[in-house]
This record gives sequence, structure tokens and C-alpha cells, in this order.
Amino acid sequence: MGLARYLGRKLVWTIIVFFVALLLNFLLPRLIPGNPVDVIVGTLARGGGASGADLEKIHAHYMVEFGLDKPLWQQFFIYCNNVLHGNLGTSFSQYPASVNSLIGQALPWSLALMIPAVLIGWIVGNILGAVAAYRGGWVDRGGFVGSLFLSSIPPFALGIILLFLIAVKMQILPIGGAYSFGLTPELTPAFFGDAITYWWLPFWSVVLVFFGGQAVGMRSMAIYELGSDYVNYNRGLGVRESYTVSYIFRNAMLPQITGLALAIAGIIAGSLITELVFSYPGLGSLLFAAIGSSDYPVIQAITLLITIAVVLANFAVDVLTGFIDPRIRASQTGER
Amino acid sequence: MATLVTAENIRGVYYTGARDVVAVNDVTITINEGEVLGLAGESGSGKTTLGSIISLIAKPPLHVEHGTLAIDDKVQQLGEYDKIPRSWRGAVVSMLPQGAMNSISPTKRVRQLVYDVMRSHDRKISKDEAMDRARDRITMLGLPPRVLDAYPHQLSGGMKQRTVTIISTLLNPRLLVADEPTSALDVSSQKVLIEMLQDMLDKRIMAGVIFITHDLPVLRTVATHIAVMYQGRVVEKGPTDIIVNHPQHPYTQALMSSVLVPEPKYSKMRIEGMRDFNRDDFEAEAVIHA
Amino acid sequence: MKLRGMSPRFWVAVGIVGFVLIVGFIGPLVVSISPKDTIGGLYDAPHGFGNMILGTDNEGQSVIANLVYGTRTSLIVGFIAGVIGTFIGLLIGLVSGYRGGLTDDILSAIVNVGLAIPVIVVVILVSVSLPQRNLYTLALVIGFTAWFWLARAVRAQTTSVRTREHIDVAKLSGAGFWSILLRDILPYLLSYVVMAAILQISGAILFESTLSMLGLGPSNATSLGTMLYWAIAWGSIRTGAWWAFFPPTIMLTLIVFGLLLLQSSLNEVFNPRLRRGRAARKKAVAEGQTGVEVDQPIDLGEPEVVGAAGLLETPVSTHEEIR
Repeated sequence: MGLARYLGRKLVWTIIVFFVALLLNFLLPRLIPGNPVDVIVGTLARGGGASGADLEKIHAHYMVEFGLDKPLWQQFFIYCNNVLHGNLGTSFSQYPASVNSLIGQALPWSLALMIPAVLIGWIVGNILGAVAAYRGGWVDRGGFVGSLFLSSIPPFALGIILLFLIAVKMQILPIGGAYSFGLTPELTPAFFGDAITYWWLPFWSVVLVFFGGQAVGMRSMAIYELGSDYVNYNRGLGVRESYTVSYIFRNAMLPQITGLALAIAGIIAGSLITELVFSYPGLGSLLFAAIGSSDYPVIQAITLLITIAVVLANFAVDVLTGFIDPRIRASQTGER
Repeated sequence: MATLVTAENIRGVYYTGARDVVAVNDVTITINEGEVLGLAGESGSGKTTLGSIISLIAKPPLHVEHGTLAIDDKVQQLGEYDKIPRSWRGAVVSMLPQGAMNSISPTKRVRQLVYDVMRSHDRKISKDEAMDRARDRITMLGLPPRVLDAYPHQLSGGMKQRTVTIISTLLNPRLLVADEPTSALDVSSQKVLIEMLQDMLDKRIMAGVIFITHDLPVLRTVATHIAVMYQGRVVEKGPTDIIVNHPQHPYTQALMSSVLVPEPKYSKMRIEGMRDFNRDDFEAEAVIHA
Repeated sequence: MKLRGMSPRFWVAVGIVGFVLIVGFIGPLVVSISPKDTIGGLYDAPHGFGNMILGTDNEGQSVIANLVYGTRTSLIVGFIAGVIGTFIGLLIGLVSGYRGGLTDDILSAIVNVGLAIPVIVVVILVSVSLPQRNLYTLALVIGFTAWFWLARAVRAQTTSVRTREHIDVAKLSGAGFWSILLRDILPYLLSYVVMAAILQISGAILFESTLSMLGLGPSNATSLGTMLYWAIAWGSIRTGAWWAFFPPTIMLTLIVFGLLLLQSSLNEVFNPRLRRGRAARKKAVAEGQTGVEVDQPIDLGEPEVVGAAGLLETPVSTHEEIR
């Protein structure tokens, strides 16, 4: 019963947060003084690629799409309505390409990078951190400093270093992009093999940094737990070490899972920037280009996606914690 | 009365960075079957340290320089270079730690700990068998079987203490070393726990108890014999009645007269007790009553 | 806190941070030219010991000049944003934790929403919308969006200090709201605040460089992030012009690593249970066991998940354990 109420509250909370984020996502770009459409069309006109009649059409299109002739709150409803229908608008700079199509092309690459990185980094990082804490001695000391260093490097910095050393100097792996020139993406093993060589370096850049952070955190948690009363008590009763280790792991893992939720936003940001370094055609590169060309619909859509991902991830972690930590189910008061 | 335990020549030292603290200074004590030996003394007297050494859980920075533990016909060296078999812990000598609150991992149910304790000493035991045995023991000692399915935070302080007491004695250890088991409890819970301990002794679940406490009234209720420690040594040991009513060592006398729960005899002395004695007198020879 | 007893890790950290500070603040006094002066062609290789020691960048400007001024910019932005963030987080956490009641409910709700929304998103959106970006507005934006985790942590600790007796004494003697906060509660949090401030600053520096690499950096000043932005945009990595991207990368890594190392070594001082090594652990246990009075300010709970990846969002795991 406690669990159901807990989950219910978390769900309501998640919806509220999402709504606020949506509001911010809508509101902030509209801080720009003046009519953005005029600005955009003006830029297009100066670029000299469209005729007067075309510009009129574009102008009209965007006015309708954003509803800029209507009051602000109505615009917001239009926006929400669009979002809920999955319509993220039309790109400014790549008119008339729809934002959906642009994102659709970039998203798989970003996911291919981030999801394995998070999974592997978390699992391996935590295991190694726990082992280091348990063993102590040189394994711990060396591993700790190494992990600390790894975790402190900004992910893109590691990417730059790896790119330079391995791709440029040693020429083992390709320099940029997601697949060899001339190929088209398809779900064949051959394409896969080719794409993996491009994926390798960006993946390692993101994973190593994340892994370092997890190892450091888990080691600290495990050391903390090793000094606990229940560990001493277990020893006093002659309980086998391997059983006690599972107790320690269970307890040390809890803050790590919570920490994962908090770290997800950081991983996403780091991953996006790493894409820039490797010219990897994911959302990071898309965002970069969009910022450069003031393509607000695309920027907004990407920030919205990031927000959704983070909020969902937080919710997933809340659910997981609710199942793992029995104290959560018991306490009804406390942090939301 | 058969001798149950002899702890001989125990010397325990804390190696700290600055100086080495000798916490237990060549102590020898004997406990007979059916005895509850109360270990009394002020903070820093070494009673907890002695308890942890005897219950075989001493670890750095506490170093046991030498000592022997003889139980029944088994003899175990307690020095830090001597290997203490894991099988002794919990099964021959067992501990009941201070503050049961945190002694059970917060994320595991009681029955998990019970099972792990049992199968650590008997690989072949099945979960059902372990649960049955545990349930029998629990009901025998007056606790509801639902305790097994609970998480620690679902039990009250007194319940937790009694549960931990049962877990500590699941394997029927010969000796139970209880360190301040009643200190964190209210008076009625204290009574229930003490009764349970005596019940367990009657049922021969364990053969002897070392009861460490600074709470003298509790000691008077539960202990059959009392050993008074001061600065790492046993200064007086004997049957409860003699220690309480006819103490001979100057320190014991001071200790007994500092009890704040006034007995008719001491009500006039109250806190004055300690002031009347010179600390130097405490260096006097130890008195061991038969 | 004796300086003599500090671990080698602490001194290494101080060394690294000190080095970066020297580069950033003494550097501009030593380098004779401005980063905007054109002194060469596109990606001239380094030679000599003067202004060409690190060659030129994509606009023919001296890399070493850009590096020292860029370091200074990054440090300034990081420092300002870090201080702002620490100050706001501290203020809100203290008031929320001490006041309780409705004030606490409202503030906590705001904090929780703030924690749930990814900061990078807000910062990107705001930066994109700003008419012009100089480093002070950037610092403000970063500072104003980074304090949420600190507020939560400070609130938790304030609520536990609030129940201590000396607070009652202060109240009885008529001390005012702010007086109590500043003189009776804050001192207990000081060690934590110091570490949090370090994390805030390093996080802000990372934030600024992330924004700059996306093209949202300060438009009128060089920072380490903008150097990298141009380095990537002009393909210096591909062409092997290592002097254009390596120095800023190394400098950024040094700053962040140094600050995090500093924070981690300080953490071990304030949280003795984390200490490793025989000498350290004995000391911790001895303080506990032999009854030596150690004035423990506050149990800092369990230690933090530290890392550059985590810094961009929330550096501290604020999971509250019921121990």
C-alpha cells in the first residue's frame, strides 16, 4: 500500500515538473524583443535566396504556426497542443524541413552513444568501485586516483585528446562522422561494422568519464558501509564474508541509484558536446548548428527532448528506489 | 559448579598515532556454568574492550598482545597473529552489541539475517529448516513470529533489542557477551529483556553470560557475580551480594556508593561517595572473592 | 584543522589550482600582447619563446595570449557564478530549514522543481534569448540556475542543527532571526559550505565551457571554451594543429581536476570515516573510542558522487539516510 501511494505521488510530481518545464521551454525564447519571425525572414531575405512572394509565404506560415498574432496564453496552448500531437514545428534555417524529421535523423545516433555508455559505465564503475573499497591497499589507492582523474576530465576534453592521439596521430580510427562517406544508413551487418569504428572513440570518451565518477562514488559509499554496525555484527556472528558483501552492496547501491538520476542530465550534456568534437551527427551537432543559425524551433525541440529524457529518467529512478529501499515505502513524510 | 570459561592473561592495546592506550591490562577471569558475570566500571575502564576481545571480534586499532580463551575443553589463543576460526564466532562465543538499532542492515528483513547466520555455520541447511528453527526459538522466548518478516525500522527499540538477542543466540553459544544491552531502553523494556535473558539461561540456550554495563542497579538485578574493572584491571570480583553490600576494594566501595538510586543504607551518602576516597587508594591490590 | 596533517592529495590539489591561478592572473601581466592582436597566419606552428610559443589560432592571433586571457575569463566567470550560486543556495537553504512551515513548503517546492528540470536546458534557452552575451551576464545566468542542490543539502543540515540546545538558548536570550542563522547555525555548516563552494565554482567553469563550445559563450571575451569552439569549427584537430586545442583542453582539465581533488581531500578531513590508511583510520577510531573530544560540526551524511559528468547537473547526492 505504501508503495502505491509513493508511486502515485511521484507520478503527480513528475507531471507537474514536466508542465513547468514546458512552460519555461515556451516562455524563455520569447524573451527576445521584437517579432522573431520578422527577424528570421529578414535574415533569409538578406541571404538572398528567396523571392518576395516566397518570403511572404514563409512569413505567413510561421505566423500561423506560432500564432504570433494571438495573445501569449493562446500561443502557449497552441504550443502544448502541438507538442502533445508530436508536432515540433518547422525548422527556420532548413525550411521547409520539419523539426521532427531533423530530430528523427539525429536521435538514433545520440541514443546509440548514450544508452550503452550509461549502462556500461554504471555497472562496471560501481563494481570496480566496490572491489577497490573492499580490497583496499594499492589496488584501491591507484584505482581511486585514476578514477578521480578520469571523472574530473570534462568529457569533451577526453574526446579531444583521444581524437587527436588515436585518430589523427595513430590513424587507427576515423576522425569524424558516423559512417564512411558514400554509405547510406541501413540495418545491415556491413553498415554496422563500418559505423562501429566511428562510434568507438565517442563512446569511450563518454563512458570513461562516467565510469570514473561511478567508481569514485561507489568506493566512498562502500568504505562508509564497511565501517557500519551491521558489518561488525555479522562478523561477530561468524557470518560468511560473501553474505555480508551482498548486504553492503545493497546499501551502498541506493545512493548510487539516486545519484544516477542526478547525473543523467550531466551525461546528456557531456555526450552532446562530445558529439561536436567528433562531428558525430547526433542531437549535439544538430543543436550546435541550430544555435549557429538561430533556428529556434529546433533548439526548443531539442531542449524539450532533453527535459523529457531527464524527467523520465528521474521518475524511473524513483520507481526503482521505491522497490529497492523498504524504508521509502514506510515513510510517508519527507522529501518529495 | 563447572567452569565454563577461563579468559587468561588478556592484554589489549589501542595503537593510536600519538600514544598506545593499554585498555585491558593482563586480565584473567573465570565464569562458571549458569553464571551471569556482570562487568562493571566507569567509561574507559576497559570493560567493552575486554568484552570485544572475549567475543573474538577485536580488530585494529585494537591489538591483542596476548591472551587465551578456554571454553569447555577447547583452548584458543587470542593474539593478533593467531588465527581465530570463524566457526567459533556466534557458535561458541557470541556477542550482543551495543545499540541493536543498527546491527541489522536496514534493507534486509530479519529472516534474511537469520538464514545467513545459520547457513554460515551449516552449509547444508535449507531455508525452510532455518525458518522453522528460528520460529520455534522466537515463540519459545515470547516474541511474535511476524518479527521474522519485518524490516528493522518496523520494530520498536525494545523489540529490536530482543530480536537481536535471539539472533545472537540462535546457534546456542556457550557464552554470550552482552555489551550494554539495556542502556538504550526504557525501564519496562529493560525488565522484559532481562527476564528473557534469564529465561534463556534457564532453558540452557547458553551456558553463561557476561553482562557489561555501567548501570549498577541493572547489574544488581541480573548478575550472579560481578567483576569491577578500573583502568584496565579487575580490581574486585565476587558474588553479587558481597560486591554490592560488602565491597572491600576502595574503588568498588566508591563505585557502589555513587549509585544515585538511593538504598536506605546509601541514601545519606549519595554523591558524596566518590569524594570521600582518594584516587591513590584505588591502586590497592585486587580482591577476588571465591 | 592543522595544515601539517593534510594529506599529499591536498597539497597536489593546491599546487594544481595555484598553477592555474598564476596562469590566469599573472599571465596577462607577463604576456605583452592582447589576444586580439593578429601576429601571424592561420595556424602557424609554435616557435621561439615569445608570443609565438604556442603558435597562432584560426585568426592569426597568439595562442598563448588567448590562453592566459582565456583562463582568466573562465576563472572569473566560474568564480562569480560559483559565489552567486553558493550564496543563493545557502540563503534559501538556511531560511527554508530554520523557518519551517509554509515558507519551507514553498521554498522546498521551488527547489524540487528546480532540481528536476535539467539546468543545462534552462541555461541554453536563456543564453539563446539574450540580446548580447558578456561574461558577467553569463556568470549571472549560471549562478542563478546552479544553486538548487545546495539549497536542499543546506536545508537538511539546518533542520538538524535547529534542534540543538544552543539554538534554544539563543532564542531565549532574544537573538533575532538573522542573528541566529549567522552566528548559531552557519558555523556548523561552514566546512560543508567551503566544499560546496569549490564544487560550485568548478561546476560553473565547466558550464561556461560547455556553453561556449555550443556557441553560446561570451561574445566579447576569449574563454577557454570559446577557444575550443573555434578550434573545432576550423578543424584544427583534423589538420593536426595541436597548439590550437591542446592548451585550452589541458588547462580546463587542470582547473576542474584540481578543484575536484581539493574538494575530495577536504572531504576526507571533514568526514573521518572516509579516511584510508592505518594512521588516518586509527586516528578516527581513537577519537571515537578513547573519548577524546572531537568537535564534529555535523555528520555530513554519506559522501558525494563527484565527477565532471555529474557537475553539469547536481554534484551532491542528497539522499537522506535514516541512520
